[in-house]
Amino acid sequence: MRFLPSQKTLLSWAVPLALMVVWEIASVSGVIPPHKLPPPHRVVMAGWHMLRKGELVRDVLVSTGRAAAGFAIGGGLGFVFGLLAGVSRTAETTVDSSLQMLRMVPHLALIPLVILWFGIGESAKIFLVALGVFFPIYYNTYHGIRGIDTGLLEMARIQGLTKFELFREVIFPGALPSIMVGIRYALGIMWLTLIVAETIAGNAGIGFMTMNAREFMQTDVVLLGILLYALLGKLIDVGARRIEGSALAWHPSFGSN
Amino acid sequence: MASVLRQQLSPLAGVLARPRPAARVEAYPLPPHERGLGVALHGVSKDFGARTVLRNISIDIAPGQFVAVVGRSGSGKSTLLRLLAGLEEPDSGQVLLGGRAPREAAASLRIMFQDGRLLPWRSVIENVALGLKRADLGRATDALASVGLADRAGEWPRVLSGGQKQRVALARALAAEPGLILLDEPLGALDALTRLEMQALIEDLWRRIGFSAVLVTHDVAEAALLADRILLIEDGGIALDIAVDIPRPRRPGVEVAAVEQKVLGYLLKS
Repeated sequence: MRFLPSQKTLLSWAVPLALMVVWEIASVSGVIPPHKLPPPHRVVMAGWHMLRKGELVRDVLVSTGRAAAGFAIGGGLGFVFGLLAGVSRTAETTVDSSLQMLRMVPHLALIPLVILWFGIGESAKIFLVALGVFFPIYYNTYHGIRGIDTGLLEMARIQGLTKFELFREVIFPGALPSIMVGIRYALGIMWLTLIVAETIAGNAGIGFMTMNAREFMQTDVVLLGILLYALLGKLIDVGARRIEGSALAWHPSFGSN
Repeated sequence: MASVLRQQLSPLAGVLARPRPAARVEAYPLPPHERGLGVALHGVSKDFGARTVLRNISIDIAPGQFVAVVGRSGSGKSTLLRLLAGLEEPDSGQVLLGGRAPREAAASLRIMFQDGRLLPWRSVIENVALGLKRADLGRATDALASVGLADRAGEWPRVLSGGQKQRVALARALAAEPGLILLDEPLGALDALTRLEMQALIEDLWRRIGFSAVLVTHDVAEAALLADRILLIEDGGIALDIAVDIPRPRRPGVEVAAVEQKVLGYLLKS
């Protein structure tokens, strides 16, 4: 275990830090008009201010909740349909070709329709996120299962595994590397969809915060919102990598040992 | 039965991996083979499309017998093994394992495949225990010990050598205490020295436990070294069926070479 950052880590932070300093100086001295791009310290102060008022935590929680709900619904359905299409030829012919057609429709193109259906409330946003994450998880689950070595399935049959054991021992772990690829891809889409969906309308969330700030020309709050999206996206990606690393420890390209 | 196997296997832990010293080898005659499953094929034929792979084959294998099936590639020897395993259905005729259809006898039949077919996402011991009931999990430990890999139980299969992987595959086949083990070119991908060690291990375990064995191989020397009986398959039929009466344990040598020459001579003439 190392506790001190290595020279390499320090070096990799050097350029971003230098840019921040340049930005701060340029903005404070008036080279960049502060209402277009306020200096970093104003963004930090805006964040601190909103944190003390309690708005920041509420908005972050609302956005995260929408993302999680949409991901759970869309990802869960995608997994179930992918599983069905993967293990059953009948389900494959009925489900897969229809879903492949639907996949061609960009889900964000449905926004006007979704507003007509659900209005501008929570369900519209969750629906869009769910729709966005459904396909990558469906597709990668389905292909992960189809890609399992048939020799292993034959071996499992000879070993006398029950249907459930076959799923637990062979099909699920065999498809897991592909499913994890789908999950990480879906997490990216989840965030992107949420950002777009939150600009529709609403009365809470990071999107609401930034749109509101735009009305009042609070560029620092807008920047804060953008940074929050980036930070949360990064956190989720790091989390997904962690899970991937432990779930696929047996895999030469993921495992740690 | 389980406890009998455990008693037979447990003192062998870690020893069988090495070539056996001559003093440890039990004397002829063979241990009783009452655990073995008898195999009977009556007029079995199998076509793939227009091509007849096996034509009207009848074989009787006594319980506990070690039979090797040799033949050129594409001669139908792998199909024969798949018919015995119930992975293929014969187009005509009947396959009986201990008097039952292969599917009904599935619990007392295991296969050791050429490519091992270990689950890369399960540890060595989990692979051996695959398909065992919870109450029988102790058998996996015993089986792994019997192939000399007790100390590798917790590792991933990918860190094992080719020979070690095949020993795990053998342990997995043994763990269910099957009456019949089908060996599908199990040593085909191994180097010569590892192959000799594995042959000695298979012979030893077979003699101690007494399961019936059907070995499909293209290596006639291996067939002569391991089998009680060699079947040569050619053009979908049994071209040669000879008994091998060399005392066990066998080592490669003049007697084994003579049997090999006999089979090869027939193969080259035809």
